[in-house]
Amino acid sequence: MKRAPAIMAFWLATIGVACADDPPAQEQVQSDISTREIAIQSNFTGIEIVLFGAIDFTSVPAIDETQYDVIMVVRGPDEPVVMRRKERTIGLWVNGPSEVFQSAPSFYAVLASRPLRAIAPEATLKKLGVGFAELDLGAEPTDEVNRARFRSSLIRLKEDRGLFLESDDAISFIGRSLFRGSVDLPVSVPIGTYTTQVYLFRDGKLLSQDDSTLQVHKVGFERIVYLLAFRYPFIYGLIAVVIAAVAGLITWAIFGRRD
Amino acid sequence: MLQVYLPIAEISVNLLVMLGLGAAVGFLSGMFGVGGGFLLTPLLMFSGIPPAIAVTTCANQIVASSVSGALVQWRRDNIDLKMGAVLIIGGLAGAVVGVWLVGALREAGQADLMISLSYVAFLGLIGGLMLAESIRAIQRARAGVPARPRKPGQHNWIHGLPFKMRFPRSRLYISAIPPLLIGALVGFLASFLGVGGGFVMVPALIYLLRMPTNIVIGTSLFQIIFITAIVTLLHATFNHTLDLVLAVLLIAGGVVGGHFGAQAGQKLKGEQLRLMLALIVLAVAIRILFDLVLPPDDLYSLTPLGTKL
Repeated sequence: MKRAPAIMAFWLATIGVACADDPPAQEQVQSDISTREIAIQSNFTGIEIVLFGAIDFTSVPAIDETQYDVIMVVRGPDEPVVMRRKERTIGLWVNGPSEVFQSAPSFYAVLASRPLRAIAPEATLKKLGVGFAELDLGAEPTDEVNRARFRSSLIRLKEDRGLFLESDDAISFIGRSLFRGSVDLPVSVPIGTYTTQVYLFRDGKLLSQDDSTLQVHKVGFERIVYLLAFRYPFIYGLIAVVIAAVAGLITWAIFGRRD
Repeated sequence: MLQVYLPIAEISVNLLVMLGLGAAVGFLSGMFGVGGGFLLTPLLMFSGIPPAIAVTTCANQIVASSVSGALVQWRRDNIDLKMGAVLIIGGLAGAVVGVWLVGALREAGQADLMISLSYVAFLGLIGGLMLAESIRAIQRARAGVPARPRKPGQHNWIHGLPFKMRFPRSRLYISAIPPLLIGALVGFLASFLGVGGGFVMVPALIYLLRMPTNIVIGTSLFQIIFITAIVTLLHATFNHTLDLVLAVLLIAGGVVGGHFGAQAGQKLKGEQLRLMLALIVLAVAIRILFDLVLPPDDLYSLTPLGTKL
């Protein structure tokens, strides 16, 4: 067993040599979100969240002329959706062909400091799944032309509703190290756990990545209503009927008894 | 800018607009003595509420208006409870079919279309008949001809049907089949269109069953309470299409509107009222038809699949 320390030392030396061969330690990115929890209640009309972060130069001195790029991705929980296209049938516009997407993100925002293609090569973006073009929606295999049309329409509809967003100049740098970007979550923002990813690039190369999560949930009365409606729908319906019946009774007591 | 978030419809609506909508429809229903569901459901659809949610939530609102209406009739002893019970049994069957159909059509992506189409057909028919009838009545009134009283009840084909039952309050001895069928039709309409169905039930009871007119209104209201309550429960349980917040807003608006509508209605003549109502009904039907015929803004639509939890 006496040889063990020697072997260890050998390995440590090898690792040391290997590390020395690598490029120098990279700049790290750190980030945070203005709110970790978003509560939807009756006065909710949407909210703006701010993602901010800093490039940590402690391990490497900042190189003055280098341009850093940041991409932020905010992604809501995936959900299956069906896309339908209306077609004219006997003078009426009727839902015709459809396409199911098994895992479309309910919310998807990509913020960047410059156009995505200028920040990183397509292969890198594809690997990270960043940008509308690279988004995996979980489409079921059907013919390509239709799928492409449904796919682009899904993205367009989500964009119209403010649920999908791709913005090239949404991140601004404050000095060399600090940066921030903001995302508007619309009133229809889906509930669930959101992930945010902040990627730091330099010269088309991914240097560092920082992930966080964000909770969107309904609170108070809205939460109770929502939970009741989906978990105990019969009780929920019963409550609604009782409210209506009591309202009718009160109406009668106030207005109806006179005649 | 009082925005209220509707937790099931998942949209934000203006509090005053929804209260106003409830009040306006309540006003009309108080004025014309109709349930108002057939106006409220399309109006909600126009303001962006998904049709299936509009249908369920309206059914719930009608529970409130029919309870207060039925209580008034109850005090006057104008309800045939036995007939009501038979109608409710029929209505239950119709409601189950309607709720199932809405669910199946939603899955196939055709619920909105079929609800809209049914509304066009239904409102077009009712509005057209009312328009023709009220114009005739107004012409008669101008010419000074008194309206002919209806002939007293005579035996018709309905009296040949089996399963006869005695309905002492209505002084009828008829087969249970017609009331069951009428109930079923109304139950179906309530669950598919979110209407009380009084405008089908009242003529059917008067002209087909020859029930005394004073008892018809009360019995119809009595039945509608139960049918709309059942429809609300079924839709809430199986289709998750009831928005309680929206329902409360509509009920609150409807209560106030209904009261003032009833007062206003007493100052207008019957024919004029029916003519106005006919025009409103036809306008709504045409508006829905336009939405179906005109090229849509967007050919594509997106629907989430499955439950939300």
